[in-house]
Amino acid sequence: MLDHILSILIFLPALAGILGFVIHKDSVKTYGIAVSIIEFLGSLYLWFAFDPNVSGMQFMESMPIIPSFGINYLLGIDGISLFIIIMAALFTMLGIASLGETKKIKNLVITLLFLQMTMVGVFAALDAILFYVFWELSLVPMLYIIGAWGGPLRIYASVKFFLYTFTGSLIMLVGMLFTAYLYYQATGSWSFSILEWYRLILPHSYQLWLFAAFFIGFAIKVPMFPFHTWLPYAHGQAPTIGSVILAAVLLKMGTYAFIRFSLPMFPDAATFFMFPIAVLAIIMIIYTAMVAYAQEDIKQVVAYSSVSHMGVIVLGTFALNVEGITGSVFLMIGHGIVSGALFLLVGVIYDRRHTKLMSEFGGLAHVMPRYATIFGIMMMASVGLPLLINFVGEFLSLLGFYNQSHITTLLAGVAIIVGAIYMLSAFKKAFFGEVTNEKNKNLPDINKRELVALIPLTIIAVWLGVYPKPILNPINNSVESIVALMHEKAISPEAKTRIPALEGKIAIQKSEAEVK
Amino acid sequence: MLSHVNVSLESLNIATLVPMLIPIIGALFILVIDLFKKDLSKSMYVMLSLLFVLLDFGSLIDFAIRFDTNGTLLGYFDLMLVDGLALLAQFVIVGASLLFIPLALTSKRFHEFSYSEFFALFLFMIAGFQFMVATDNLILIFIGLETASLALYTLIALHNRTKSFEAAVKYFTMGALAAGFYAFGSMIFYALSGSVEIHQIAAVFHADGFANLPYILIGVVFLLGAVGFKLSLVPFHTWAPDVYEGASASMAGYMSIVPKIAGFVVVMRLFEFLVHSGVVWMDVILYATVVITMTAPNIWALVQTDVKRMLAYSSISHAGFVMAAVLIATTQSNSALFLYWTLFTFTNLGSFSMLWISRQKNLPAGQSSDHPYTKFSGMIKTAPIAATIMALFMLSLAGIPPFGLFWGKLYMISSAVSGGYIVLALIMALNSAIAGYYYVKLIVYMFMKEPVPGLEGKVYSMNASTSLRTIIGIAAIGTVFAVIAINPLLEFITRFVYNSGY
Repeated sequence: MLDHILSILIFLPALAGILGFVIHKDSVKTYGIAVSIIEFLGSLYLWFAFDPNVSGMQFMESMPIIPSFGINYLLGIDGISLFIIIMAALFTMLGIASLGETKKIKNLVITLLFLQMTMVGVFAALDAILFYVFWELSLVPMLYIIGAWGGPLRIYASVKFFLYTFTGSLIMLVGMLFTAYLYYQATGSWSFSILEWYRLILPHSYQLWLFAAFFIGFAIKVPMFPFHTWLPYAHGQAPTIGSVILAAVLLKMGTYAFIRFSLPMFPDAATFFMFPIAVLAIIMIIYTAMVAYAQEDIKQVVAYSSVSHMGVIVLGTFALNVEGITGSVFLMIGHGIVSGALFLLVGVIYDRRHTKLMSEFGGLAHVMPRYATIFGIMMMASVGLPLLINFVGEFLSLLGFYNQSHITTLLAGVAIIVGAIYMLSAFKKAFFGEVTNEKNKNLPDINKRELVALIPLTIIAVWLGVYPKPILNPINNSVESIVALMHEKAISPEAKTRIPALEGKIAIQKSEAEVK
Repeated sequence: MLSHVNVSLESLNIATLVPMLIPIIGALFILVIDLFKKDLSKSMYVMLSLLFVLLDFGSLIDFAIRFDTNGTLLGYFDLMLVDGLALLAQFVIVGASLLFIPLALTSKRFHEFSYSEFFALFLFMIAGFQFMVATDNLILIFIGLETASLALYTLIALHNRTKSFEAAVKYFTMGALAAGFYAFGSMIFYALSGSVEIHQIAAVFHADGFANLPYILIGVVFLLGAVGFKLSLVPFHTWAPDVYEGASASMAGYMSIVPKIAGFVVVMRLFEFLVHSGVVWMDVILYATVVITMTAPNIWALVQTDVKRMLAYSSISHAGFVMAAVLIATTQSNSALFLYWTLFTFTNLGSFSMLWISRQKNLPAGQSSDHPYTKFSGMIKTAPIAATIMALFMLSLAGIPPFGLFWGKLYMISSAVSGGYIVLALIMALNSAIAGYYYVKLIVYMFMKEPVPGLEGKVYSMNASTSLRTIIGIAAIGTVFAVIAINPLLEFITRFVYNSGY
């Protein structure tokens, strides 16, 4: 049975969701927590059974779906996807546990379980079409979550979210089909397996176009500047749980896909586009930080800061070396933990006051000391203070890019420091000074239900900040094999020098699949 | 003096007519019964028609097996041509008819179904479409086309509402114009080649190297115009939304599927050699038609306030999408056409049937059309299962995986990519994205808005009966679990298309 652990992890929540329809609405939250705990334990089992010394895919499953067209049900994970899957399971569990009194709670829990299926599916799929299926399917529950439980502009926000990502992914689909066609031309058979595609050596010009097609799909999801405009609406209108899952897991689909598709498949194009993308990433870091500074709504501050940090992840990814990519994967985890926690924290205050405007607050540290402490820790983690989780990832990402370009890295580094200002100023506005607003005088401090979700996240943020090794090692191992693959496949001399050679890490048999 | 013509019965191969004769006999049979006994229940006619259509389907399976072993069959002075295309198209035609007939068993009484003529005409129409696809003789195509169309006009008019008469008249006049176009186009081809058989025409054109190119292009334009009416290609689509709106929802659903597959086969036969001729204008004309037919209705659909009209425009856009297969003209694209249309049959019949069961006999006050978006507001609260199923069909039409139509879209775009039409593939992808908006709009209304006061859940199943629910169930299962069927379907279709030389 454990041979099919990935399938179980994907379809258990969906099955549980279907069964959930008949459960009375009073018990459905407990049911959801129970299912997501099982799911989380299952994902921990993955970690337990994962062999960190193997650099290839593990827990592989394969079954033909449309053999005549080369589409398979192909699953497998490496050190990169492993932790994102654990994080997806963690946040579904904590998210359901932290749900307060909500209308239509039954629908919400069931939708979350379906969303979980698509999230695990995306990170476990090794067949491009299977990946696309889960990628697109994840839009539907999210559309519903934002559209049914969101704020006053929720319908506009949800449809905007849907259409933006849908458009991007359709262009990506054309790219996928073209890649498969090139594979067909080279080998005479159709295949959508990513592992097979890795063996394909493409001419430079094809790489550029295909890279662009995939890039649009991924960049909208990340969201990279200038495709980011859907995100503030989505976050602004989404209910707390929606923002948490969106920031913690869904955005990672984009950056994960860069590492899974763009880099190993198109190493030359990745080198070619390295600086333009780095420039976009730095604009993302600086511009969104500035926008965040101007926000009056505390949730928007967190939302924009989240985009800003996604910029660092992109920068690390396109460092194209082991340090940078490892750092960006680690930062994906860190960003997930921290931004998820921050959105949960904003949700706490919103539940009490039904406003997110910072001008309404001030001096909260006196009234809600425990809340202020946790918020403070997460804020510092977000800013990237050493000994907290994000520092490790940001440091490695920047270190990685430093090997490619000193100036650009310096710019990004300064931008991050400047970016910290808005977080601290938001923190100051909301938490310090006198309590000026009468309504804030008697706010209850954070309660047990909310602590259940926040304490584990705080522990993780500190633990992995102090001792990142347990997850850094497996990530590093998988990243090394990707970088080795990229170096091996690169055809242009520039890419050969930009992408470091790693002796003894060759993961590719010199392939016959070459497109002329 | 005329010399004797000796024809042996065997060489006629009368058997090739069997699939068409079954519905014709059925129709005559129904008329005869009606002659003798007037007050029979409508459900008897439904079942009788169903029986004949089932028989028809059985004979097609028989032919499919024979085709698999013996290849293309010719019959009746080589008028009949039973190749893979003909069989695949007939499977869709007869299969969709099988699913359509039980829709007549509604709980509300719509009087058109109480006429036996309705069922007789329906069977004649099926035979007409079957003739249309099972020949490459321009005259027989014309006869099939007109038989089917005349029956269809009457079927629409039987729906006895002012709008239905208007629709029928509109469809009829447009159809008459199309018939004129068709006759004129065939005449030019005949004048140029001295034959009305498509493969002969192709041979003659190839032999003289397309010497009369201007005339051929005029003929192409006329024929494209004629078939374009049936396929509702822009700019010949203007009738479609009004006719769909005027016809009953079930009829509209049927019209969006069956006449079109027949039209596609004719277009494939006609344009196969023209596209491969290397004459640049042929490509340009088709390319423009395809892109405009895909894009323009998508944009019109965005602003519709009535779901049925939205679906009408969306069907036009789907037709444009599929028409791309004729332009690409590879085995993969031609197979994609049939795959797409088979999947489309389930989804579109399902979504029109959902409108059909929510049909009120009389329009409530203050509602100007049958199915405005607002009618579906908050449907998830009042009729959760119906809302979920409707949403499913919308997701499938939008091409969200893993639902049915996604696989058709996937294969079609892939065929464009492998045929070298990258820009077309991108246009197709962008069109799917635009279409996403109006499908999601209905989902937004159903799932995220508050219900309209006064509209209880039962309005959504006003017209439901067990057989209607069964049909919708079949359509829903076909849509959700399509992925299991894709591989066998694809292999079957590809083999048939390939063996017919397309």
